[in-house]
Amino acid sequence: MTEPTDRELIEGARRGERGAFEALLRQHYDTIYRIAYKWCGNREDAQDITQTACIKLARAIGSFRFESAFVTWLYPLVINTAKDWVKARARHPAAELSEADRSVAPVAEATVYAKQLLERIRALPAREREAITLVFSEGLSHREAARVMACGESTVSWYIHQARQKLQAFRERESRHG
Amino acid sequence: MDEEKLKQVLRAEVIPPAEDNARKAAINLAMAAFDEAQNEKRKNRQGSGRLARLMGRNRSRTGGWNMRKSYLLGGVATAAVLMAVSITTLRLYPQPQYFAKTTGAEQLAHSQAAPAESQAAKPQVGKRKAALPQAAQPQAGQAGEPKRPVMELADQSVEQAPPLPQGGLVRAPLPSVVDRISEQMFRGQSKSAQAPSDATRPSHYQDVGRDSFESVVRNPVKRVAEDPVSTFSIDVDTASYAFVRRQLNSGLLPQKDAVRVEELLNYFDYAYPLPESREQPFRTSVTVQHSPWKAGNKLIHIGIKGYDLAPAEKPRSNLVFLLDVSGSMNAPDKLPLMVNSMKLLLDSLGPDDRVAIVVYAGAAGTVLAPTKVAEKHKILAALDRLSAGGSTAGAEGVRQAYALAEANLDRKAVNRVILATDGDFNVGITNREALQDFIERKRASGVFLSVLGFGQGNLNDYLMQTLAQTGNGVAAHIDTLNEARKVLVEEAASTLFPIAKDVKIQVEFNPKTVAEYRLIGYETRALARADFNNDKVDAGDIGAGHTVTAIYEITPLGGESGLIEPSRYQAPGGTPGETALADEYAFLKIRYKLPDQDRSTLVTTPITVAEENLGDGDAPRAREARWATAVAGFGQILTGGKYTAAYGYDEVIALAQGAKGDDRFGYRAEFINLVRLARSASALPRN
Repeated sequence: MTEPTDRELIEGARRGERGAFEALLRQHYDTIYRIAYKWCGNREDAQDITQTACIKLARAIGSFRFESAFVTWLYPLVINTAKDWVKARARHPAAELSEADRSVAPVAEATVYAKQLLERIRALPAREREAITLVFSEGLSHREAARVMACGESTVSWYIHQARQKLQAFRERESRHG
Repeated sequence: MDEEKLKQVLRAEVIPPAEDNARKAAINLAMAAFDEAQNEKRKNRQGSGRLARLMGRNRSRTGGWNMRKSYLLGGVATAAVLMAVSITTLRLYPQPQYFAKTTGAEQLAHSQAAPAESQAAKPQVGKRKAALPQAAQPQAGQAGEPKRPVMELADQSVEQAPPLPQGGLVRAPLPSVVDRISEQMFRGQSKSAQAPSDATRPSHYQDVGRDSFESVVRNPVKRVAEDPVSTFSIDVDTASYAFVRRQLNSGLLPQKDAVRVEELLNYFDYAYPLPESREQPFRTSVTVQHSPWKAGNKLIHIGIKGYDLAPAEKPRSNLVFLLDVSGSMNAPDKLPLMVNSMKLLLDSLGPDDRVAIVVYAGAAGTVLAPTKVAEKHKILAALDRLSAGGSTAGAEGVRQAYALAEANLDRKAVNRVILATDGDFNVGITNREALQDFIERKRASGVFLSVLGFGQGNLNDYLMQTLAQTGNGVAAHIDTLNEARKVLVEEAASTLFPIAKDVKIQVEFNPKTVAEYRLIGYETRALARADFNNDKVDAGDIGAGHTVTAIYEITPLGGESGLIEPSRYQAPGGTPGETALADEYAFLKIRYKLPDQDRSTLVTTPITVAEENLGDGDAPRAREARWATAVAGFGQILTGGKYTAAYGYDEVIALAQGAKGDDRFGYRAEFINLVRLARSASALPRN
């Protein structure tokens, strides 16, 4: 889609052109934000993660070598930022969002079940979540996801398998209790 | 969980748009960081310093990321594996590309230019920092780091060159800067990274990428009176050891943040007492010894030995290779790789193991009746005769394979069908459930199934996983021979049979007997105190026969060897409850879940003062503890030796030599050799 333009922008940014980098940021802010949101599930955190990721991007753009699609390259950067963010949050539990803050996310469309399932997915171990998000939500192939996660393809499949089993168990419990 | 449903839910998630203010703020901050990066780049002429720091950040961003990477690199310490992961490696480690472009002469020129340049940089640095928007300061770790011109230049000389203290350079007087440059250049040329005396001069050391540092901050000494409880997750990874080995074998000392002491410790198999029964997935043994690096201190070893399916000896294997030789396997990364993988597996088997080969293609057939591995040439010849062709008729193949395995069923052996396919598994039992049932029934009869996927394109992951799960085995994708070795040889027993998951350790120290403690390693595995009893918190798993070792260094109460001054206002020993037992150092609690359970089980062991007085019968245990001490000592020296004082490589070698034990596979001898390599690597530049 915007691939050729992206390429020019990235090349410009690597040469140090401010404008190019700014355009690139504007172009991809929403993508970064989307990944961040999928990870943490609320707007406030997603915005903060996105901000940190953008700053990292400013320093990292020089090391992008067009070996993969730019977005594919962004995933680990954003996801790792998000993980660090969640970790830092765990260390400062006082900063935990109140219930009211959380309800910022509108769930009008989503059924209760879908909402529960999403919560359930966010409660999975980080690597399983990562695999699920990349493959099912972002639509990457196992191979691409393996590259993003810096592990073997089989490992990705394994994480997904594990995650699905856990989610299945959850679903069975749900249906048993109504 | 239904895949479509999952996708549907995930993709239907409503994501509220980001607020405009947040977007503007993020873009402004990122632009400031961008300007900052560009300024640095300009001063560096080639921007290598920026790359160096980036690389560092990637390495240490999170422990998991870092180690998974080196796991790939080091799992099999050969050069070939570098090829296998070169794609990802280049992305994460931009350095090598850069080096390829830089000639030695250029580097030298840089170093000569460095003093002048670093001086010239001074005033500008000051100005630039002041000009940076206030809001960017919280991100200073990432965006606003002070400039380090000399480090960046020196770093070009060799990838592992030790960087200089952060920020200190700008203030450092010129002569010392020059000294350091020449020293670094010298070290770079001599291909060595770190001198041993650096251990006592931590100011020379800085981990690259300060922004995500937490993963390598070494566990500090803690006062029992203030923080009596220590909690962590077990770790059976050994990636760090492989990485360290790779570095040392190429004559370099490993980077400090690549050294995880716990992974070094757990690389080795320890002869801890085995659990008595299968109901008890692992057994804990505790040993208390004197600390070799600090008189007066003691080391508490906690050793966990997982239940091994055949404690007495490696179980015999009765394997049937069920190989897909249909037309689609006719590709270099399929049939030839499969044949080679099977040969690798063959090498790891004992002479009494049996192997049979069934192929399926247009028609299924047995190409090799069950044959003892002692007659290896027959098996190899059968493998070499295989060729691909025809369509897939898997059902008959599956039946034949199981029939062969059952015909030779050995209750004491591992009876396993190993299905190797490229995914065209359109077996005659077309109904997936029926196939699953079939495998399940056979599992009950004692024949397990593992599935290996080769090539790419039409692998059916989910089917493979399901079948392997049903058959009590692993499903693995084999894309290179190294992957084959990892899956088939190195991880065979423990990945095939996980015996406990989410294993957490919590140790509460007794303030009546212990003044201070320090956990050696496990920095990335630390858990909050409350996580211990929270079954939702994920932790490490133990496979069959795994051993896990953790070491605490303690200063007994009243000892002179402590580091922390006693509190002026608190009575020594604090105010422990009445229950405090004066003959216990600590209380060990371990939580685990059986592989198929969600609820954890708690096991507890008091660590008594009496553990120090091991009887003669416990000699092996004491020896294993000494070995662990040697490994921990080595790991700590490599990571800077903050707490090990004058303890050096020679002491490690001496201690290790005396604790080698049987060392049937030569791993311990290899370790001692690595210590020697480290000693010479660190000695070279100091001549």
